[in-house]
Amino acid sequence: MNLLDIVIAIPAIGFILALLIPRAQEQAVRMVTLVFSLAAFVLSLGLAVGYQTGQTGQQFVTNVVWIANPEIHYHVGIDGISLWLIILSTFLTPIAILLSWRYIHQQSKEFFALLLLLEFGLVGVFAAWDLFLFYVFWEIVLVPMYLLIGIWGHDRRIYAAVKFFIFTFAGSVLMLAAIIYLYNLAGTFDYALILDQLRSGHITLSHTQETFLFLAFFIAFAIKVPLFPLHTWLPDAHVEAPTAGSVMLASVMLKMGTYGLLRFCVPMFPGAARDNAPWIIILAIIGIIYGALVAMVQPNMKKLVAYSSVSHLGFVVLGIFSFTQLGLDGAVYQMLNHGISTGALFLLVGFMYERRHSLAISDYGGVATVAPWLSTVFLITTLASIGLPTLNNFIGEFLVLQGAAQANFTWSVFAALGVILSACYMLWLYQRIFYGETGEEVRHHMPDLNIREWCCIVPLIALMVWMGVYTNTFLPPVTATDANVLQQSNMNTPLRGAVTLSGGGSHAR
Amino acid sequence: MQNLWLIPALPFVGFLINGLFGRRLPKMVTNIVAVGSVVLSFLLVVMVGLDSDWGAKPVHVSYFTWIGIGSFNVGWDYMVDKLTMIMLMIVTGIGSLIHIYATGYMEHEEGYYRFFAYLNLFMFFMLNLVLAANYLLLFVGWEGVGLCSYLLIGFYFLKKSATNAGNKAFIVNRIGDFGFSLAMFLIVVNFGSLDFGKVFETAPGKPVDTLTAIALLMLLGATGKSAQIPLYVWLPDAMEGPTPVSALIHAATMVTAGVYMCTRSAAIFTHAPIAMEAVALIGLATAVFAATIGLVQNDIKKVFAYSTVSQLGYMFLGVGVGAFSAGIWHLMTHAFFKALLFLGAGSVIHACHGEQDMRHMGGLKKYAPITFWTLLIASLAIGGVPPFAGFWSKDAILVAAYHHAPWMFWLGAITAGMTAFYVFRALFMTFFGEYRGHGHPHESPVSMWGPLAALAVLSTVGGYFFNVPKILDSMFPLAEEPENPMLLIVSIGAGVIGIAIAWYMYVANTELPNRIAESVRGLYTLLYNKYFVDEIYDATVVHPVVEGSRAVLWRGIDQSVIDGAVNGVGYQSRGIGSVLRLVQSGSIRSYATWVVLGSVAVIVVMGVIGRSF
Amino acid sequence: MPANFMPSADDLLRFSPELILTIAGTLLMVLDPLFGKRAPRLFGHISILAFLAGIVGALGAQSVTGFSFSNLLIVDGYATFFRILVLSIGILAVLLSYKYLDRELAETGEYHALLLFCVAGQCLMVASNDLIMIFIGLEISSIATYILAGYLRNDKRNNESALKYFLLGSFATAFLLYGIAVIYGIAGSTKLDEIRTALSQPGVSTAAVAVAAALMIVGLGFKVSGAPFQMWAPDVYQGAPAPVSVFMATGPKAAAFAVFLRIFMTSFQQISSDWEPLIWISALLSMTIGNFAALTQNNLKRLMAYSAIAHAGYILVAFAARSDGGAAAVMFYLAAYALMNIGAFAVIIHICGKGEKNLRVEDLAGLGRTQPFVAALLTVFLLSLIGVPLTGGFFGKFYIFRAALQSNLVWLTVLGLLNSAVAAYYYLRFMVVMYMYEPGEVANSLEPLSPGLRAALVLPAIGTFFLGILPGAVLNFARASAVFTR
Repeated sequence: MNLLDIVIAIPAIGFILALLIPRAQEQAVRMVTLVFSLAAFVLSLGLAVGYQTGQTGQQFVTNVVWIANPEIHYHVGIDGISLWLIILSTFLTPIAILLSWRYIHQQSKEFFALLLLLEFGLVGVFAAWDLFLFYVFWEIVLVPMYLLIGIWGHDRRIYAAVKFFIFTFAGSVLMLAAIIYLYNLAGTFDYALILDQLRSGHITLSHTQETFLFLAFFIAFAIKVPLFPLHTWLPDAHVEAPTAGSVMLASVMLKMGTYGLLRFCVPMFPGAARDNAPWIIILAIIGIIYGALVAMVQPNMKKLVAYSSVSHLGFVVLGIFSFTQLGLDGAVYQMLNHGISTGALFLLVGFMYERRHSLAISDYGGVATVAPWLSTVFLITTLASIGLPTLNNFIGEFLVLQGAAQANFTWSVFAALGVILSACYMLWLYQRIFYGETGEEVRHHMPDLNIREWCCIVPLIALMVWMGVYTNTFLPPVTATDANVLQQSNMNTPLRGAVTLSGGGSHAR
Repeated sequence: MQNLWLIPALPFVGFLINGLFGRRLPKMVTNIVAVGSVVLSFLLVVMVGLDSDWGAKPVHVSYFTWIGIGSFNVGWDYMVDKLTMIMLMIVTGIGSLIHIYATGYMEHEEGYYRFFAYLNLFMFFMLNLVLAANYLLLFVGWEGVGLCSYLLIGFYFLKKSATNAGNKAFIVNRIGDFGFSLAMFLIVVNFGSLDFGKVFETAPGKPVDTLTAIALLMLLGATGKSAQIPLYVWLPDAMEGPTPVSALIHAATMVTAGVYMCTRSAAIFTHAPIAMEAVALIGLATAVFAATIGLVQNDIKKVFAYSTVSQLGYMFLGVGVGAFSAGIWHLMTHAFFKALLFLGAGSVIHACHGEQDMRHMGGLKKYAPITFWTLLIASLAIGGVPPFAGFWSKDAILVAAYHHAPWMFWLGAITAGMTAFYVFRALFMTFFGEYRGHGHPHESPVSMWGPLAALAVLSTVGGYFFNVPKILDSMFPLAEEPENPMLLIVSIGAGVIGIAIAWYMYVANTELPNRIAESVRGLYTLLYNKYFVDEIYDATVVHPVVEGSRAVLWRGIDQSVIDGAVNGVGYQSRGIGSVLRLVQSGSIRSYATWVVLGSVAVIVVMGVIGRSF
Repeated sequence: MPANFMPSADDLLRFSPELILTIAGTLLMVLDPLFGKRAPRLFGHISILAFLAGIVGALGAQSVTGFSFSNLLIVDGYATFFRILVLSIGILAVLLSYKYLDRELAETGEYHALLLFCVAGQCLMVASNDLIMIFIGLEISSIATYILAGYLRNDKRNNESALKYFLLGSFATAFLLYGIAVIYGIAGSTKLDEIRTALSQPGVSTAAVAVAAALMIVGLGFKVSGAPFQMWAPDVYQGAPAPVSVFMATGPKAAAFAVFLRIFMTSFQQISSDWEPLIWISALLSMTIGNFAALTQNNLKRLMAYSAIAHAGYILVAFAARSDGGAAAVMFYLAAYALMNIGAFAVIIHICGKGEKNLRVEDLAGLGRTQPFVAALLTVFLLSLIGVPLTGGFFGKFYIFRAALQSNLVWLTVLGLLNSAVAAYYYLRFMVVMYMYEPGEVANSLEPLSPGLRAALVLPAIGTFFLGILPGAVLNFARASAVFTR
C-alpha cells in the first residue's frame, strides 16, 4: 500500500461516501467530493516529490494478484509519462467540482459522485501496468462521462452521449481482442513481462500478427485522441457536455488515447509502428490543419474549442510518431499543455455560458468593456493556446515540430501551418466575443469573475506561465522516460541526425 | 554584469504594476511607474555600456536552462556586444522619449493605465529580443513584440477597424514567424544548437544549400516583422493604433527587428549569396513600391507608414548588398527622424483635434511653430539633405548598392527623390497655406514638444556623431571603396529635386496636383488604392480559405461525409433490424418452414463435411 | 434389469435433487385444493424451500460423484454446477413470481408445482449420461414450460405463446429423437461414453454419424434458440408471463446448453472438426440477428428476447472453440447471463403493471429520478449485458473470446466483439430513458419495490458484482469440472 495506491483509492472511497449521503444534503455532497478530490491532488503531489528522475522504469509499484486464473494482477506504478498525467487528473478534478458548484442543480449528488468515479478511472488508466487492469480502468472512465454528458448536458446531449459511448466502445473492444490475443501468447497480462518477452524474443510475432495487433490497439487509441477522421464524436460530446464534463474530457480523457499510443503501441510493436508511421503522421498533419480550418468557421464557442483540440492533439500524435527524443518529449509536454490551456478555455466558456446562457459567438461582443478581468484571463489563455513563447503550449509545439523536423523536415513545414491558423481562429474568436460595442444583453448579464471562478482559473494561468518559462520542473522525468522508450524500441534518433532538406534521415524504412 | 537582467525586468515590473493595479492608481503614479521604469533601464544600459566599453568587451550571461533535453539545451542567456549595444541605446533611448511624449498625448484617453502597461510590456519583449543570446530567446521577444503591437493597434477596441488591424498584424506576422521557426528547426537539425556563438562559428563549414534555406526562411520572418513585400500589408493598417505606438513600435523599434535579425545572422547570410541577393531585391522592391504609394496618400499617418515601409526597404537593401553596418546605421537614424515624424504628426493631429486627413489641415505653421520646426528637421533628415542624420546612412547604403550593382543605386536614388517629395508634400500640406480644418488648432504641451526637440537634435547631428559603420568596424569590416563624388551628387540631388517639386506643386501653384491626377487618372487610382494588394490578398487567400473551410471541410467532409457515414451505419443497422423483424411473421407455419429449411441446410452441410454422400 | 433393483443410498443421494423437487411438486398439487386462495404466499415459500433442499441435495451428490443407475446418470462437477445453477434460477423465478402472480390474482400451487417439475427435468438432463434420459428430462422440462407459458388462461397472448412453443417445440424435439435413433442404429447404445467408443471404431459410416449429429444440432439448437432456429423465441418470450419468459430464457436454456455441450464434447468429440463450422455459423448468425433485430425493438420483453438470442450466439462462440476452456466459458457465461437477465426482468416486472401494459422502453422514463435504487441496479445489469468491466457479463465475454482466440477463431472473435458494440446501443437506450428523460406517468405512479422483487434484484446484483470482481472461484470450479469422459 504505497502513496500511489492511496491516490487511486481516495476518489473511489469518496465516490462511495458521496453515494451514501442522503440526496437532500447537497452541500454535504459537494464538500465531501471537493475535500476528497483535493486530498487526492495534494497526495499526488507527493508522487512528484518522491519520484526519482534518475532511475528509469516505474516507481511506486504495487503488484498483487487480483484474479488467480487467468492471472490478472493489480499492478500499478508510474514513470515520467504517467506521473504528470496522474497529477493533471487530480489537479483538474477539484477545479471541475468547484466550477460546477452552483451550475448543477438537479441530481447534484450523482453529478459530483460521478466526477470522483471519473477521476478514479483516469488515475487508474495512467497508473495501470497490467493490460487487463488498464482495460478495466479504460472502460470505467467511459461510464461516468457517458452519464455526465447524457444527464447534465445540453439539448442534443443524448445523441452526443450515445455517439461518444459507441465510438469509444467499438474501439476498445478491438483493443480487448488484442489484449486477450497477447495473453494467449504471453500467458500473462503483466505489461512489463509482455514487453520483456516481446523484446527477448520469447514471443515472436509474424509481420501480419504484429500489424493487426498494432492496429487493434491503435484504432482504440486513435478514436480517443481523436485522430482525423475518427474525430466527429468530439465536437458533439464537447458542445453538449456540461462545463465540468468538457473540461475533464478535453483535459484528461483525450490524453488516454495519446498516452496509450506512447505507452503501449510504440513500445510493444515498434516494427509495426515504424511501418505505419507515414500514414499515421499524414493523418495527424491533416488533423492539425483540418481541425484548425474547421475551428475557424464555427459559430459555436465550444465547437470551436473542440475542433482546436483536434488540431492540438494532431501535434501530439505527430510528435510520438516522429520517434525522436524531442518529438516524444514535446508530445508528452503538449498533452499536459493542452490539458491546462484547453481546460481553461472550456472553463471560461462555461463561465460565460452561466452568465449569458448561450454558446453562440454572435450573442457576445464587447465583453471586454463590462468584464475586463474575464477578458484578460481569456486573453492569456488564448495566447497560451496559440503558442505564445513564455506560455506553455509554445514549448510543446516547438519540441514536437523540432522533433518532426529531425525526422522529416517536410512534416514540420506542413504541421507548422497549424500554428499560423491557430492564431487566426483564436484571435478572431477573441475579437468577436470581447471587442466591439457592448450589446444590451451582454451589458446586463456579464458580471466580472467572482471569487470561486478566480479560484478555478488562477491555478491554470499560473501553470501556463510556469510551464512556459521554467520547464525544468516538468521535463526531466519525461525526458528520461522517453529516452528509455526510444532506446528500448531501438528507435533512438541522434539529435544531430544527418537530416537534410529532403529529410527522412532517421526514418528507418 | 549580473544586473543585465534588470534592463528588461524593470519595464516588466512596470507592466505588472500598471496591469494589475493600474485601474486604482492615480495617473501620476502610473506615469512614474511607466516612464520611470523605462528611463531607469536606459540608465542601466548606459552603465552597461560604460562597463563593457560600449560592447567592445562582449558580455554573455546565462541565467537558467529554459529547455534542457540531453545535448539540446536552450538557456535563458543574454549577451551584449556592439550591435546589441546600439540596439539597446535606440530602444531604451527613443523608448523613454516616446513614453514621456505619451503621458501628454494619451492624457484624456480611456484605459490610460492599460496603454502604459502594454507599452512597458513591449519594452520588455523588445529588450529581450535584442539581448537574446540564442534564436529561441530572440523568438520570445520577436513574438512578444508582435503581441504588444496587436494589443496596441487594437487599443481602441470598440472600433472594428482597429481590432481588425490588430488581428491582421498578428496573423501576417505569424506567417513570417512560420518562416522563422522553420529556420530554427533547420538550424537545430544541422547545428544541434540555437546559441548564436555555436551556430555562427560553425556556419562557414556547412553546405551552402542548407545555409541558403535557413537564410531564406529567416528572410520570410523578417519580411513579416519588418513589413517587406509580400507581407508589408499589416503596417499601414497598424496606424489605427495611438500615434505614440506608431512612433515607437511601427517606426523606431519593432519593425526594425527583421533588419537586426538578418544583421545578427550575418555569419549565415554572408555564406548564402542567393539569400543575400533575395534580401537586396526584396528590400529595393519594397522601397520603390511603398514610396510610389506614399506619393498620393492624404492621411498623414498613412504617408509616414508607407515611408517607413520604404525606408525599411533601404535597410534591407543595405544588408542585402553586404553593408550590414550601413543598414544598422540607417536603422538608427531612421529611428530618430521617423519617430520624430510620427510624434510630430501626433502633435499635428492633437493640434487639429484628431483630424488625420491633410486636406483638412494647412497653415499650422503659426499655430504650432515648435512642431513645425521639428518636423522640418525630420523631413530634411529623411530627405537625405546633408548634414542631417538621414543623409549619412542613406548615402552609405546607396554607395554600397552601387558597388553591388549600379542599377540598384539608380533605383534607390529615384526612390530617395520620391521620399523627399512625399515627406515635404505632407509638410507643405499641413503647415503652409490656410487652415482648412474646423476648430482652433493649438500647440501641444511641453511633455509632447520636449521629446520632439530632443529627437530633432538627434535627427540633426545623430547621423554624423554616431558613425555606426566605424563603431561596428570590428564586426563588419568596411569594404575599401574608391571615393565617387558622382554618387554623392546624385543622392543629394535626388532629395533636393524631390523637395523642389513638392514645393512647386503644393506651395507655388496648388491646383496642379489635381490636374495631374486627372490627366493620369488610372495610375492615380492604382497608387491611391495601394495597387489593390489588400483586395487581391483577400480575394485569392483569405476568402477562399474561410469559405472553403466552411463549405467544403466543415459542412462537406465533417458533417456530410464522416458523420454521414457514421449515422449511415446507424440507420443501416436499424434497417437490417427491421428486415429481420419481417421474418418474424408470427405465423407458426412459416416458422416451421424455417426450421425445416434450416435443418435441411444443417444436414446437407454436415453431410458434405462428412465427405461421403 | 440390474441385479439390485433397489437403488443404493449413493444412487439415491446422486438422484436426490430430482426426488426432492418431484415430491415437493406433488405435495403442492395436493395442498392447492386444501388451501386454495387462503394462503397464497405459502406455495411460493414451499417451493423455495424445495429448491434450497435441492441445492443441498446437489451438493451432497457432488460428494459421491460418479455413474449411477447403471450409467444412466452421471454426477460430476459439470452436472453439479448446472444443477445448482438451474435450482438457483428456480429460486429467483419464484421470487419474481410473488408480486406478479398476486398482481394478476393467479397465485396457485399449480404454478409452483410446474416450476418445480420443470427444474427437476433440467436437473435430470444435466446429470444424464444417456440420450434417452436426456430426452426424458428435456420433455419433462419442456412440457412444464409449455403449460407455464400459457399459465394465464384468459390472456390470449399467453395462449398463443404456449401454442407456438408447444408445436414448434415438439417439432424440434422430433429431430432430436431422430438423431438419437440414428445414433442408436450406428453405435448400438444410447450411453454417451459408449457412443463415443463405438464411433471411434473403424468402419463407422461418418456420413450417418454426421447426419445424426446434424439432427441433434437442429433439436438442441432450437432449445437454445440459436439461429437459424430462433424464430420462436421472440414470440414466445413476448407472449408468456414475464416471470416465465425470463425463466425460459435462463433455466431451460442453461440445461439445454449443458446437454448440447455434453453430448458433442463426449460422443461427437472426434468429429468435432465437422460440426465446428456449423456452430461457427450459428454463433455468428445468432449474435447478428439477435443484436440487429433488437436495435429497432421497443417492447421490453421482445427486446430482451432478441438479446437472449444474441447471448446464445456468444455462448455458441465458446462452444465453437471445442475446448475445455470453451466449456468452462460456457458454464461461466450461462451463470452470469442468468443473473443479469433475471435482474433486468425483475425491473421489467416491477414496472409492467397489471396485465403487462407498460412494456415500452419509454415506460422506464425518469426511473432514475423517481426510484434511483431500482434504476441503479438495472444500470448494473445493463452494463453487465453490454460487458463493461467489474460485472459478470464482462468476464463472461472475456472468457468466451479468450477461449475462441485460443482456438484461433480470430474472425469470430472480432465479429463477436463488434456485435457487443452494436448491442451497447440498445442497452444504452434503457439508461438514456431512465436517466435522461423526464419521469413519465409510469415512473411517477410506481408503487415501492415489493420484498420478493427486491430480493430478485439485489441477489443477482450481488452475484453480478461477485462474478465481475472475483470471478476466480466460480471459474476455477467450472474449469475443474469442464472435463468430459475421454
